[in-house]
Amino acid sequence: MAGNKGRGRAAYTFNIEAVGFSRGEKLPDVVLKPPPVFPDTDYKPVPLKTGEGEDYMLALKQELRETMKRMPYFIEPPEEKQDIERYSKRCMKVYKEEWIPDWRRFPREMMPRKKCKKGPKSKKEKATGQGTALTSTADVLKKIEELEKRGDGEKSDEENEEREGSKEKGKDGDDEDDEEAAEQEYDEEEQEEENDYINSYFDNGDDFGVDSDDNMDEATY
Amino acid sequence: MKRKLYYIFLFFLALRLPRTMTQAEIKLCSLLLQEHFGEIVEKIGVHLIRTGSQPLRVIVHDTGTSPDQVKKALCVLIQHNLVIYQVHKRGVVEYEAQCSHMLRMLRYPRYIYTTKTLYSDTGELIVEELLLNGKMTMSAVVKKVADRLTETMEDGKTMDYAEVSNTFVRLADTHFVQRCPVVPATEDSDSGPPPPAPTLVINEKDMYVVPKLNLIGKGKRRRSSDEDAAGEPKAKRPKQSTDNKEPIPDDGIYWQANLDRFHQHFRDQAIVSAVANRMDQTSSEIVRTMLRMSEITTPSSAPFTQPLSSNEIFRSLPVGYNISKQVLDQYLTLLADDPLEFVGKSGDSGGGMYVINLHKALASLATATLESVVQERFGSRCARIFRLVLQKKHLEQKQVEDFAMIPAKEAKDMLYKMLSENFISLQEIPKTPDHAPSRTFYLYTVNVLSAARMLLHRCYKSIANLIERRQFETKENKRLLEKSQRVEAIIASMQATGAEAAQLQEIEEMITAPERQQLETLKRNVNKLDASEIQVDETIFLLESYIESTMKRP
Repeated sequence: MAGNKGRGRAAYTFNIEAVGFSRGEKLPDVVLKPPPVFPDTDYKPVPLKTGEGEDYMLALKQELRETMKRMPYFIEPPEEKQDIERYSKRCMKVYKEEWIPDWRRFPREMMPRKKCKKGPKSKKEKATGQGTALTSTADVLKKIEELEKRGDGEKSDEENEEREGSKEKGKDGDDEDDEEAAEQEYDEEEQEEENDYINSYFDNGDDFGVDSDDNMDEATY
Repeated sequence: MKRKLYYIFLFFLALRLPRTMTQAEIKLCSLLLQEHFGEIVEKIGVHLIRTGSQPLRVIVHDTGTSPDQVKKALCVLIQHNLVIYQVHKRGVVEYEAQCSHMLRMLRYPRYIYTTKTLYSDTGELIVEELLLNGKMTMSAVVKKVADRLTETMEDGKTMDYAEVSNTFVRLADTHFVQRCPVVPATEDSDSGPPPPAPTLVINEKDMYVVPKLNLIGKGKRRRSSDEDAAGEPKAKRPKQSTDNKEPIPDDGIYWQANLDRFHQHFRDQAIVSAVANRMDQTSSEIVRTMLRMSEITTPSSAPFTQPLSSNEIFRSLPVGYNISKQVLDQYLTLLADDPLEFVGKSGDSGGGMYVINLHKALASLATATLESVVQERFGSRCARIFRLVLQKKHLEQKQVEDFAMIPAKEAKDMLYKMLSENFISLQEIPKTPDHAPSRTFYLYTVNVLSAARMLLHRCYKSIANLIERRQFETKENKRLLEKSQRVEAIIASMQATGAEAAQLQEIEEMITAPERQQLETLKRNVNKLDASEIQVDETIFLLESYIESTMKRP
């Protein structure tokens, strides 16, 4: 069915009338651009359903949206530091309850690992389902105060240095507790962030695919 | 070559690999994950949808996210049944996204509201807690719900655990909540290291068995000292230590909402209301009775219910309904003769054996949805042509004009419009082996299944657009919203400390009249967009149910 341009005018290979144009009529213009993004509609949409059920579901939906933001499952993105920490921000900050997964139901590699520490402290084994009893809430509050005092510009390198350099037993004890609790309690603390980064730095891609994931216990820092 | 590809396709079909998601579905999942769990979870979730099954290391590497973040995100996703894991050879654990479960998040308000209508506030909160947390133990749910209900009660009154437990048991008995698969008990003398991930199992029989718990207690109110007077998020308080002192009686036994059961309920509701619209109240009650009798006996994916005899139906009619046996038989005959074929007669014993044709009913509902969309988008004359082609299955151009009694030019225009939007398709029937166009029949036909898929795809896009627009509107007015929230907080705290009306007035005036107007408009728009989402989801449910019913083996 090659378009044989015969002598004279080109002829259609099919009956043009079947498509709806009479012979010799001017064909419509070829469309050279995509259709408009917001085309006009000839018919307006039907109004939404209203009623008790619909109203209730609407309120429920909006409430759920707000509730989910406050749940521990909502993981806040790491915020960029602002120059001045606004007082209002501190006041309106929501303190979320922690969520501890039931580790028995999750793959073992999901459990957070102990962080690399240059100190002589030995690693405690993390037993499954260990309690999260925070030994000293006062110390936690002290830590928070310290963090605030430190200001936002300096990254946690300072904190790292301080922690790793410091040989104060009490302080280390706090850090250890804090960190262990933080890990177990899935708190979003900056130190964790920074340490993670260093952690993955050690974990180069050579191991990918070579070992099985049973060897994840290489984290004997 | 083509044949080889065809065989490969069949092979994959046999393996039942999850199908690739369309762009619209991925976009919608991304928006939902972001709204419910934040950007990090969204990033990991969408990555898994696009790439399929992957191990942890690859996810970390490909997304450029820190391992700790990836682990947290995966834990959240697994907890909410949005990602599953599987142990492959050599102990590698791979994670796979469940895109269809993510889309279910749209329906949460409907699930919760439905439970409210069936089991009142207690049931509503139970299902809400289960949906918000993915899975929970019964004791945890009961405690949480009792606390929440106590908050709403008058001073001095509390909600008893026993009452909440009872409702929980009822929900389990009617299969609205079900047990999650459990970690199998292993003997201690297991050789070798523990597996990298547990393989969870569940026995069919155990799925709705409620553990024998003796939950005694009452709900507790939050102490007022813990709350800010403004009712804002709680004041700074030390991290909660879990109550490890008491052992959890049902440790390890988790429950989740059974979404399939809700879907069965929605489907039944849709069928009953369709019958009510088409016929009358009594017919719909009869159909509702028949569906209720089949609830537990017929699996939800069956093409029709178990046959029910007219006598059985008569005995099971709701107590208030006083129709005689003859009238019931007449109604049943009418229903069975109706061209929609919702009800079918399968035998004559017991006064007549009747079934509900579930698959046919879903097909009718999907078709009605298509007709309605054509009518609202293209007009009633187009809808007439559409219904005509549906009815006659295949029609030529000329026949359409004649049967529909619409002038040729307009009929052609309408047909091409519907054709271009894929509501109608063209079937070629060649008269000669060379398929010459002038010697070929071109028949218009409606392929309901493919039109339904097309419409479903459009629905996903619509909801994605609605969500994006709502987020845009909220973002545009962010400053004003924050200001209004602050003002409200100030007013609330001032009221609590006993301020005068004049002072409150002054604070309220911090928001000017045009700003109030703007807030009103915003609220109205957001409500409209939210309500639209809920309604589009109803259409999505119908279409998905229909498409799913065609995919099951008969």
